[in-house]
Amino acid sequence: MDPHDEDDYDATLEERISAYLFSLVSAIGGSSAEDDGRYRAGEEALYCLRDIRKLITAFDIKKNRFDVARAAAEANLVQGDLLELLAQWNGEEHDSIGAHRTVVAALEILVHLTWPIEIEPEDMTVNHHRHLPYLRLSQAEYKRAILHHPSSRILNSAVRASLPAMAESRKERSLRDESIIRILICLMRNVAALSHPMNVDTDFDDAEVSRSAVIDAFQQQDVFQVLLTMSSSTGEDFVDQDVILLETLFHLIKGVNVEKLFLDEQKLSSANTKDFKNLLNKEKAMLAGYTKTAPTRHNRFGTMIWIKREDYKVHTISGQDVLGNAQRSLQKMDKTKKWNKPKYKGRKTEGVDKESTEFDRITHLDSTARKNLRTFVEDFLDSSFNPLFSHLRRAIEREEKRVERRHSAQFFYVVSWFLQAECIRRRKIRQAREQSKGAGSTAQQEDEGFGLIASVMTQETFVLLNRFMQRSHDDKLWTDLKASMRAFTQILLTVQEMSESPSEDDQDIAENILNRIFYEESTHDRIVTLLRSYTTQGFSYLDAVTELSHVFLRMLERYSKQNVDLQVRSKRRARKKKKQVEVETDGVDNSTVDRAEEAEDMAEAQRTVSERKFDFTRFAARFMQQGSVDTFIAFLKFYNDLNEEQLKRAHRFLYRLAFKMEMAIILYRVDILYLFNKMIKGPEGLDSEQASFKEWEELIKQVFRRAVKKIQERPELVVEMLFSKINPTLYYLEHGHEKETITRA
Amino acid sequence: VNVKNDLGIEEEVKIVKKRQPIPKLDEARLLSAAGIPKLRKISKDRLRFKGKGHEFSDIARLLNTYQFWLDDLYPRAKFTDALVMVEKLGHKKTIQMMRRAWIDEGKPRVSEPDDY
Repeated sequence: MDPHDEDDYDATLEERISAYLFSLVSAIGGSSAEDDGRYRAGEEALYCLRDIRKLITAFDIKKNRFDVARAAAEANLVQGDLLELLAQWNGEEHDSIGAHRTVVAALEILVHLTWPIEIEPEDMTVNHHRHLPYLRLSQAEYKRAILHHPSSRILNSAVRASLPAMAESRKERSLRDESIIRILICLMRNVAALSHPMNVDTDFDDAEVSRSAVIDAFQQQDVFQVLLTMSSSTGEDFVDQDVILLETLFHLIKGVNVEKLFLDEQKLSSANTKDFKNLLNKEKAMLAGYTKTAPTRHNRFGTMIWIKREDYKVHTISGQDVLGNAQRSLQKMDKTKKWNKPKYKGRKTEGVDKESTEFDRITHLDSTARKNLRTFVEDFLDSSFNPLFSHLRRAIEREEKRVERRHSAQFFYVVSWFLQAECIRRRKIRQAREQSKGAGSTAQQEDEGFGLIASVMTQETFVLLNRFMQRSHDDKLWTDLKASMRAFTQILLTVQEMSESPSEDDQDIAENILNRIFYEESTHDRIVTLLRSYTTQGFSYLDAVTELSHVFLRMLERYSKQNVDLQVRSKRRARKKKKQVEVETDGVDNSTVDRAEEAEDMAEAQRTVSERKFDFTRFAARFMQQGSVDTFIAFLKFYNDLNEEQLKRAHRFLYRLAFKMEMAIILYRVDILYLFNKMIKGPEGLDSEQASFKEWEELIKQVFRRAVKKIQERPELVVEMLFSKINPTLYYLEHGHEKETITRA
Repeated sequence: VNVKNDLGIEEEVKIVKKRQPIPKLDEARLLSAAGIPKLRKISKDRLRFKGKGHEFSDIARLLNTYQFWLDDLYPRAKFTDALVMVEKLGHKKTIQMMRRAWIDEGKPRVSEPDDY
């Protein structure tokens, strides 16, 4: 065939495929005139379904095309036939093998058609580009149809269809049984994962395919029960399904605020009201800020002012808003400049964008969905957390074939989410107990240790987490890195919660875990490196990395105060030190006993791993460097979007830097001072009604005072303030004299 | 044979106007008379602070000084953009050497011990 005619060839092939598919679809069945127009399967329905299946394998799967999927969407296969077949099938027909087979075949096709389409941008073909937008829309339509089928519970039918296979013990199961189970769990995953394509209007309400709708349907149709059953017996009856279970969980919980999930109805509504009030106040403050500078006359009033400078220079600025306020006229002078420094906007790859928004987008649930999800989460924690996650960890460690790249990040995301959920639940139980003290308090809850989440608080998990963190940092996979940083933060917070637990066992375990985490110097190094290496990864990365270092530093400080002689395993300079010691001993005497020791020492030194005493102040000093300050300043630039907790985090860091470590010199840079000044004095500054405003004002005032003093002492600082300080001059600028270096002989 | 054509005399010579190069904020500009030397002069002659109790107005005045100075040096860029550009230049070797020298100038001249 002429290669130039490939498009025509495509078109004719597509036409032929869709004609064939249409004839198959119409042969599956239809509404019958005899049964009041109810659906009736055709004689050869099963064979038609199998033919469609073959068609899918031949074109869509083997040739990596979307022709059959597109034709199926146009032929209304899912709503017209597949769902009707599932709806019609009820448990009574268990015996009929033919009916069961038909249902399974229908499910198989349904799973294929609802499979979330993810293609790396470089693998997209013309065919993909042509069909993808249509298919995404139709998949949202499928999801809606599955969740809201008028006459029947589709998901429940699917569950029932796979029950016989699940009831079989794992050893007895045939290949076909395994694949039926797989089909079911994949269908659940697909339903949870599909989302409405953004920025596109459809005929139906978005709420019909929202997360709340999925959760409610899962609850009503007993899907949650199946998920619990499967995940609680992962490793025994179910092995290969673990990663798909993980994906289902991930798509169910991603973006759900854990705190809000566990709030009481009443408290939640008051919290929501409070949020709303805060927002209104914020808006009011913002508007007030604008009206303060808004012109008092009409916009053609035509005011013009000069700013006179030395050397008879003059700046002209127009507009009445600048009258009588030198500060504002300077701002206006700046604002009217047309040129903007080109900014790095990040790589524009669709896949990466989607992934990162998937992790960060906040999902809101309605009240019934929240209640349902909460029940599920509690049951899951009680029964399934340990078996599923320890199994998954092993699967990821062994790099099983079924584990794909995205699964590790999802694993850590889900783990951190559930850890947070468990902590909040425990806190709530404790509060409830304190309230109902005296009255018959439930004794059984008291024994409930942290055993429920023990599987992720193991050394193996820490090793995996550390390795994953390091690798995603090395490979610049920021989404993965974010997930692992969040998980690490959450583990630290959980340990903290544990150490505050009344049970002594828990305290011991917490102590133990902290020992293990803080023993490795490589962990300390990694945290510092992560904080210092921020470049352009965006806000959510900033949030994760600043939170991690804040929590880590705080806990380490407390821990090293309690354990004064904390040792860390350090890898550096071990050899050199040993040699030094040797030289010294050699000089004194040279007996044969020493020789033996020497050999031992050498062997020890070869390992290049040694223990040394941990010094918190020295560690904290490593945090107080230009790179980490820049990261926190980049974070602080979002000051108007930060919540109280985030602002506090930045405040504590800067406070430690400026006053505890006496390194305020790093802050004396014009852009940082400019940001500080803007935060307090505006325009568009921090809301002065905000709780933390006073704290910030005080901190910034102190920094300013010291800066002014420093400049008066050392006028050369005026130039240095333009730049990041370089290490050799840092100490001199702060202290006014050179650092006394102790020279080693 | 057309000699004239071979010599290319009759062909019209197209004159492509070269674009005026955009002035850059670079090391040379920063070290020129309008650059840091001027800033040093301004700070010596004109920068006065009120001290305690006037922290914010002091810093605001300082910031204004910088803004005017940068506007004279490189009027094209906005204040914050220009600050970023200058900061970046500070990593260059030449500028770093100059910075060291400026600091050393300000250092108190202690009678250095001879047997250093």
